[in-house]
Amino acid sequence: MKKTTILTLALVISFLGCQQKDLFEIPSEIGNEENVQLNQLLSDIENGNKSLISIKQAKDYFVSGSVNTFSSDLVIKGYVVSSDASGNFYKELFLQDSSTNPTSSIHLMIDQVDSYNMFNFGREVYIDLKGLFIGESRSGNGVISVGGQIAEDGDEVDAIRELDVQEHFFRSPNTEEIIPLPVNFSAINSSHIGIYVSVNDVSIIDSEKGKPFVDPYDLYDTQRTMEACEGFGKVSFILETSSFASYSDSPLPSGTGTVAGIVNKTYNGSNLVLSLNSASDAELNGDDCDLLNIDDFEVVLSEGFDNSQDNTNLDYSGWVNFAEQGTELWTEQVFRGNGYTEFSAYRTFEDVNIGWLVTPGFDLTGSTNSFINFKLAQHHLEDDQNNTLEVFISNDFDGSNVLAATWNKLSVQIPNMSNSWYAFQDSGLIDVSSYEGTIHIGFKYVGSGTNTSLDGGYFVDDILFLKK
Amino acid sequence: MFLNKSNKTSKNFLLIIIFCFSLLSYSQNFVEGITIDDKGNLLSGVLIENQLGSEKGISDKSGKFTFYLETSELISFTLDGYSKIVLQVFPESKLEVVLTETKSQEESFQDSLLSVINLSDDQFSDENDVLDNISGLLQSTEDVFLRTAAYEFSSSFFRVRGLDSENATVMINGLPMNKMYNGRPQWSNWGGLNDVLRNRELTQGMVPSDYTIGGILGSTNISTRASEYSKGGRLTISSSNRSYNYRALASYGTGLLPNGWSAAIAMGNRWGASGFQDGTFYDAQSFFVSLEKQWSNHALNATIIATPNRRGKSSPNTQEVYDLKGIKYNEYWGSQNGKVRNSRVKRLVEPIVMFNHKWNISPSMMLKTNIGVQFGELGNSRLDYPGGANPSGAYYQKLPSYFLTQDSGPDYEGAYRSEQEFIKNGQLSWNRIYDANINNNINGLSSAYVLYEDRSDDTQISANTMLRTQINDNISVFTSLQRRVLNSRNFAQIIDMLGSSGYVNVDSYDGFQYDLNNPNKISRIGDKIRYNYEFDATTSEASVLSRFNYPKFSGYLGAGFSSTFYQRNGLYLHEAYPGSFGKSKKLSFSGVNLKAGLTYKITGRHVLQGNVSNLNRAPSLRNSFSNSRETNFVVGEQAGLKLKNERIVSGDLNYFYRSPMLNARFSVFQTSIEDANEISFFFAEGIGGDNSSFVQEIMQGISKKYQGLEVGIEGQILPSLKLKGAASVGEYIYGNNPNVYLTSDDFGYLDFGEAKMKNLKIATGAQHAYSFGFEFRENYWWFGMTSNYFENTYLDVSPINRTQNFLIDRDGLPFNDYDVDLARSLLEQEKFDPYFVVNMILGKSWRVGSNYVGVFLSVNNLLGEEYKTGGFEQSRNANYRELRDEVQAERRRFGPKYWYGRGTTYFLNTYFRF
Repeated sequence: MKKTTILTLALVISFLGCQQKDLFEIPSEIGNEENVQLNQLLSDIENGNKSLISIKQAKDYFVSGSVNTFSSDLVIKGYVVSSDASGNFYKELFLQDSSTNPTSSIHLMIDQVDSYNMFNFGREVYIDLKGLFIGESRSGNGVISVGGQIAEDGDEVDAIRELDVQEHFFRSPNTEEIIPLPVNFSAINSSHIGIYVSVNDVSIIDSEKGKPFVDPYDLYDTQRTMEACEGFGKVSFILETSSFASYSDSPLPSGTGTVAGIVNKTYNGSNLVLSLNSASDAELNGDDCDLLNIDDFEVVLSEGFDNSQDNTNLDYSGWVNFAEQGTELWTEQVFRGNGYTEFSAYRTFEDVNIGWLVTPGFDLTGSTNSFINFKLAQHHLEDDQNNTLEVFISNDFDGSNVLAATWNKLSVQIPNMSNSWYAFQDSGLIDVSSYEGTIHIGFKYVGSGTNTSLDGGYFVDDILFLKK
Repeated sequence: MFLNKSNKTSKNFLLIIIFCFSLLSYSQNFVEGITIDDKGNLLSGVLIENQLGSEKGISDKSGKFTFYLETSELISFTLDGYSKIVLQVFPESKLEVVLTETKSQEESFQDSLLSVINLSDDQFSDENDVLDNISGLLQSTEDVFLRTAAYEFSSSFFRVRGLDSENATVMINGLPMNKMYNGRPQWSNWGGLNDVLRNRELTQGMVPSDYTIGGILGSTNISTRASEYSKGGRLTISSSNRSYNYRALASYGTGLLPNGWSAAIAMGNRWGASGFQDGTFYDAQSFFVSLEKQWSNHALNATIIATPNRRGKSSPNTQEVYDLKGIKYNEYWGSQNGKVRNSRVKRLVEPIVMFNHKWNISPSMMLKTNIGVQFGELGNSRLDYPGGANPSGAYYQKLPSYFLTQDSGPDYEGAYRSEQEFIKNGQLSWNRIYDANINNNINGLSSAYVLYEDRSDDTQISANTMLRTQINDNISVFTSLQRRVLNSRNFAQIIDMLGSSGYVNVDSYDGFQYDLNNPNKISRIGDKIRYNYEFDATTSEASVLSRFNYPKFSGYLGAGFSSTFYQRNGLYLHEAYPGSFGKSKKLSFSGVNLKAGLTYKITGRHVLQGNVSNLNRAPSLRNSFSNSRETNFVVGEQAGLKLKNERIVSGDLNYFYRSPMLNARFSVFQTSIEDANEISFFFAEGIGGDNSSFVQEIMQGISKKYQGLEVGIEGQILPSLKLKGAASVGEYIYGNNPNVYLTSDDFGYLDFGEAKMKNLKIATGAQHAYSFGFEFRENYWWFGMTSNYFENTYLDVSPINRTQNFLIDRDGLPFNDYDVDLARSLLEQEKFDPYFVVNMILGKSWRVGSNYVGVFLSVNNLLGEEYKTGGFEQSRNANYRELRDEVQAERRRFGPKYWYGRGTTYFLNTYFRF
């Protein structure tokens, strides 16, 4: 009896041991610490200890050719649009200012791989800029980037260490759906760098269809050429893919469709390119796109300025030539038999020159499809941020009072410092069908006759209004 | 021949003290002696019996006995209330046999020692089998040297004669338990059942067992016959900080009942949140049932052993990591919901069922037949990160060395920051892992991380039969047949999705489909991933062993023939290997194994003994397929080399001295192993220039040389004080420059030619080990202490760094800045610092009525010495330039990874016997 008791006791005791089970629930504290930090940041913004600025404003801290630290308490907010899931991006992020209709995007260099599973596509992220650096990701490439250090050379930024990323980057719980900004290849310009865009009617050029995204002999990147139907012709653009992308050896698609990607620069910054987050961003499997037929259109205006008198103020009938500041006006020019118009602040000796050239009216009434087209060039441009040409459209211009009209800026690729002097660029067909009434196009020059870095010149030529 | 004495019930020399008097020339074939208890009282009525039961005797009133013996035999001495003793006895011996009261202090002492040993039973081995431990083999030995190796040296991963455990045979009831995969016993399969696995027969060194010719490191046969357990029960409770924290064991035996039945049961539980290394939890249960029926001259026994167990593993680390985090650091665990979670868990459930039949056909003939089935699961968990960064806190990019060795120059701030972070946190972040998966869910992406198990689900059937025949007065013959059939299913299986929604079964590193028959399969918990194949293996062995015994000589001659078949059956079609699906060719190996031994009895005090072996051993399954997870390729196939048997030639010479005061053994030994293979897996940078790939390294046709001497001495200088000493001085080296080639799904096959391995040391633990200590025992108290000194421990070298690849640039020409002297110093094999380990034991037992209570404490590494027990060179920097830059940096990024011995640990045991 006694032994039975002892034996029972023995068995009970030997199984009293608490056994560790494999039951691990999904951690409840995920993100708690980060939320606390984010809330602290938000309250700092609320009570004015830190200021939330736009990405555009942050990029204004960039000084060409140098790297500078953010010394004040600035914070930006944006949405992640690049992803390193497939390896086409590496230790970098692009953060744009809005999930829809973005206007600006900034490049972030981080020493962190597989960041896509932390800063996922569409994630709202706050970045505490204080102590970080702004400069170019590679000297002279024109990609404005926030990094954690100044690179050895001193003129570009180095990646933010992973440990520092945790102290400067704060995710909000929101992941937004990113609506790609619809653009045409011809309209893509440096202001789009880092923005997630989509382009319709795109195909790979015939000679490259079916080739792999990356040439097996390329060590780093391969550039392929895409083209898209735009109006009466095809406009081409570069698709660049890293040899480290998981889809690098997949064949390029052979059909036509919509491509979505991030506007980026080549390694040395010489060209704008499109970078994909994954191969599925370029599923081009539809039929060929249709070009417009010029014979179907009525030419409302075709002005080549070929009746110009060299170096005189422009006085074409129906055109408005207006100096908003200073006295300098747009001038007629002839070079090797080609007439065109120019504005230059060179030797005006006036502090600020702002000059408008406004076209004659374009009556869209009754038309279903209407386009404008022109050519632009620059020379002696030394600061394309402050010595600018902008193109506007208005449908309430009264024919004389420029400043009273409502001007909307057109998304047009303006020649910049990296373009050759005097080389005209075609604007591509700019679709103005969505406007009603009579529209006018305004070319606005800003420069200075006393600051020699702001006295470059812009040319305008071959303005075409079409409708059907 | 005393060293080869087998001993069934009792455990060691403390139980039995045999004084062998000078050989007398009269009365050949008779043994005489006296039986006494441990206090010197004469014992009468002791039953003396040979194995066959053909000879019986009984001791008289004055304790004397004489016994007829034709040849050297196992003789049992039985007396109610005393432990049964089984001795290998030689004709003409004169014996003094000491029987110990059952449940006496002696047994308690012995039990406690066993507990200490069994802590290292579960020695884990990683994929490359760097760790191995043979202590479990040795624990029942009477030999002072082997006992020292087991109790004092094992925590240093000391290997007797430099040999791995695949050279030893572990049997349960005569059925071999070594795994066919790697030839090694899987100790965990019977762990935690100490009370019922104490009946062991041992053969030492090259001496064959009755069942098999065996290897060159001896054999252990554990008997689980229910009738051999004495009546009574036992309860043990233990506490420790080594592997588990707590242990509870209970066992009960009925003894042999009058109706011929007997039964024994045991249950055990070992558990703990963490062993010495951080995060190494322990969770193991043990069940044992044995049932026996005896009738006329038959005995039939059935045994079930089931020991489901799980434990958290610990990592080898670089010196940089140890310097920052100490020797308890383990990179495999992290905190989840406030609980410690280890990502690498070894889980083993492989129950054993066996039936054993013993038939005494005639006084001179006995037939034993055994059949056993073992089946179950072995799982080793690990994280897969197809879409995430390496999550380890000790990943090289998170350590100061990474920042100090940037291409653009040292980043001191980064180094400081990372150092502080590593010291403060430095563990796996489960939160980050879940966060990554949850983020991927938001965007509809597949898993960044999953937890999976590498599984080996074996089903093995073993059977053997052994006929023992007494040919004449001097010669007995053991004939045995044995067959083992294994089916092993190997695959990876997701065991936790870690919050993600789906895993894509594709190699994220190179984009290859793991299974082209099911491309891009979305896998979830319970699904098989990565690889999936079966092994089928069969071995058959026939052997004849003859033991002979003459007045001055005794010995044995044995020969065995074995044949082995292996076949792999791929269940996945790996995209990189068109031949990966379906059956491989059938590998077949056969070989003859020969052994002989001779003992020359100069006098009863001086005995000379020698053994020689010539073995042809089939390579293990592990060393037969070069990349079994992905292909059907056989080792050597791509290099055009034939896969051969390993050839083992070994010999030793032993001198024994026995006197009432002093027991000693001196041995010299020499072994050569030819045509051995080694396969390892790693991520190599600098293979063929600048590539970095996950590779399999196959080193084939290795020759290894082992030689050295062993000494064991113990002296009973006072009745209660014993001094003991042991030493092993060996040299274990590579004997040739074997061929090395690499395979990888990235580059296929690369032949590196010869690796300059000749005369490099084999990384096999300390090659020199010394121990000196004492035991004091009186009035149910025990106290003992030993000092142990280890030296000549070497780092495992990377063969690939010893090939042409080391000095060849991408263009196939030698590096233009190659400096021979610098290269020589870069490749010098690291020799670890020698170290001292002091161990202590202390115990006491009480008699309470008819029951016994005991307490026992053991403290290992009393002085807290920090020492390296082993390690390996990382092959990540596989060429001269990379290794040079690495070594010359302020801190090494990819320095060798080491194992450190445990610091000061304790083991406290209490038991109750009834």
